[in-house]
Amino acid sequence: MPIPITIITGYLGAGKTTLLRRIIDETDKRIAILMNEFGEIAIDSKIIKGKNIEYAELAGGCVCCSLSGEFEAAVKEIVEKINPEMIVVETTGVAEPDALVLSIEENLPEVKLDAVITVVDADSMIRFPSLGVTGRLQIEIADVILLNKIDLVSEAQLKEVEQKIRELNNRAIIFQTKFCNVDTDLLFGLGVEHHIKMHGQHVLDVDYFAYTTKNFFVQDKFEEFLKNLPAEIYRAKGFVKFSKGSFLFNFVAGRWDLEKWEDVKRSELVFIGKGILKLKDKIISQLKAVEQR
Amino acid sequence: MPFGQQSFKKPEFIKVSDVVWDIPKTFKPGMRVPVRVIATKKLLDDMDLQVYDQASNVATLPGIQKYSFVMPDGHSGYGFSIGGVAAFDVNDNGVISPGGIGFDINCGMRLVLTNLTIDQVKPHIKALTDKLFQRVPAGVGATGFVKISKEEFKKVVEEGAEWAVKNGYGWEEDLERTELHGRADWADNSKISSKAIERGYNQIGTLGSGNHYLEIQWVKPENIVDEKLAKKWGIFPNQIVIMFHCGSRGFGHQIATDYLQVFLNVMERKYGIKILDRELACAPFNSPEGTNYYKAMACGVNMSFANRQVIVHRVREVFSEIFKQDAEKLGLHQVFDIAHNRASLEKHKVDGEVKELLVHRKGATAAYYPGREEIPKMYKDDGSPVIIGGSMETGSYLLVGTEGAKETFCSTAHGSGRTMSRTKAKKIWRGETLLKELEQKGIYVRSVSYAGAAEEAGGAYKSIDEVVEATALAGISKPVVRLIPIGNIKG
Repeated sequence: MPIPITIITGYLGAGKTTLLRRIIDETDKRIAILMNEFGEIAIDSKIIKGKNIEYAELAGGCVCCSLSGEFEAAVKEIVEKINPEMIVVETTGVAEPDALVLSIEENLPEVKLDAVITVVDADSMIRFPSLGVTGRLQIEIADVILLNKIDLVSEAQLKEVEQKIRELNNRAIIFQTKFCNVDTDLLFGLGVEHHIKMHGQHVLDVDYFAYTTKNFFVQDKFEEFLKNLPAEIYRAKGFVKFSKGSFLFNFVAGRWDLEKWEDVKRSELVFIGKGILKLKDKIISQLKAVEQR
Repeated sequence: MPFGQQSFKKPEFIKVSDVVWDIPKTFKPGMRVPVRVIATKKLLDDMDLQVYDQASNVATLPGIQKYSFVMPDGHSGYGFSIGGVAAFDVNDNGVISPGGIGFDINCGMRLVLTNLTIDQVKPHIKALTDKLFQRVPAGVGATGFVKISKEEFKKVVEEGAEWAVKNGYGWEEDLERTELHGRADWADNSKISSKAIERGYNQIGTLGSGNHYLEIQWVKPENIVDEKLAKKWGIFPNQIVIMFHCGSRGFGHQIATDYLQVFLNVMERKYGIKILDRELACAPFNSPEGTNYYKAMACGVNMSFANRQVIVHRVREVFSEIFKQDAEKLGLHQVFDIAHNRASLEKHKVDGEVKELLVHRKGATAAYYPGREEIPKMYKDDGSPVIIGGSMETGSYLLVGTEGAKETFCSTAHGSGRTMSRTKAKKIWRGETLLKELEQKGIYVRSVSYAGAAEEAGGAYKSIDEVVEATALAGISKPVVRLIPIGNIKG
């Protein structure tokens, strides 16, 4: 089964390293983090030299990898040597992420793209009205945007920035953060089947609900349903049963994939998004309508 | 996507001539000078609109002189467009900006002659290309055969190509045929980070990825444009020459990244400079931060000169082995080594007054008219050689700087310029098929990855002939010879 891979982009100083630290601190999964080089994340552990990566196990199960060869070869090496539950790639602040996405989608069957997360510095967006080539690309391609450093701008400015982001990308979910204070599980869509952890200082207006049924779904109608999901739902995942078999399904900000899975007894779906509880009844009735009669 | 974006305003151009177009200061608030685009009407219309937006952002920077220039191969880049030229008066608050130099500091071209002809080389082209592919490593993480300590690398970045020649990589005469004698002598290795050194010390003698390449090229008789000058510079019909394109690898990239951070921190707070796009982060040239970057940039310059110097040595080795003759006997003399990503301190006349300017050329080549002090002695009366790299399919050019370059602070184009993003090119062309097609056309290609080859498909570039023609019509440089590849290695 392909390993989910998440790309983190963002301009220099936007907060990517802060986010990585948070991920490392909070996760209980075996995550391999591929960064362009070590250094920013303090490492006392022994560094192992591979062919295309150098890597070090961190306390807590994360593995930090630094790129020393080609990106694609490095990812293959991570899958082979580390076999993590998921991979997170930190791009340099000046990297154009679209090439990376293409490379993952076309040349790396070992992994599948989970989401592109872009950290945006709200303060910089106000101070520099023209958005450069790289900055635009990073926003355009994002599935999830952390609008960071909101404590440095006024409420009116924050609105202005959100609007600017929306002009480039009206698909991504935007989390407003300071010091990247987001529940990292939410970024990866992990663990939502159980509960959404709320960490001390996190204040998040994200809700979720689940739906379970023993009935089959009609596939083309189900996909039609996904296409029309309201924008408030930024993430959905779970298992679905069609007459031809069971599938794992994963939906991020308007993009989804279905992957053949061993047979499950029930379809189980979880929907996540901002203030979506008011949509719950409508969505569940839509789901019922695409069940096989 | 950066190409063909609809969200940018198309300027109203003022036509100065068939190949010179101005965007007036009224285009955007804060512009200190107009934008001047060197292009044919077709190139002007085809250019992505973000180029004009970026050039007008540059026009707002402190100390800028005369015009913010766009060369005919312009396309949008990090902060400044690629194909952008801007000169800042260092004695009048002029700035230095990493975005105006490029991440691949001193990325450039080197051209080497042989006394071999197409008939002598054609039978060996596969063996030759394969061996060059082995000896000149390509790709993102490629490491070179020059194994040196980090301490030794600190010497390299201060001594440049001179270090390489001193250590047996190449000939003394190569230095006379390299800009700055292969050494930016203002380099100071205390101004670079250990991270930069870590990234660079094992990359000497490597091409890298992207559009970097090494080509074996053929001087078709009908492609010699200026017979007299070609002959004087050692070029003859049906000759085989070698051209390559590479830079300072991860080292230069790290230096630029380090100083972008520094500049972002002090620019507004300490120097009160307001910019429109943070990718234009800068500092006054005459400030501690600005001066430090200028000295650090010089380290990148030297790394790239040393890199290309070592590659020349490898090329000579390979030719000697294949043709079983000394490189001297094979006539492997260098024509020139010239960069297209650098800021240079130069004297230029501005409205009758000689000023000391920091000329940023990003994806633009210095084209010095005859007599300029920057030109090596052997070329001083001719004008400086300018090497323009094209795509694999379309060929490359050797030009010479001409009088008209006085108007562009001695600058001209650098290549053919992309018409679409790398990503889009990859979507359109399949690398594997492309390489087969090229082989049928008589170009043997060795590439690290098929996807990499597709990024560089000829169709992803503007017509190099048109770019060169625009520079000739503008009088800033003129063609000497056009060169066609028969073998190519790339990252």
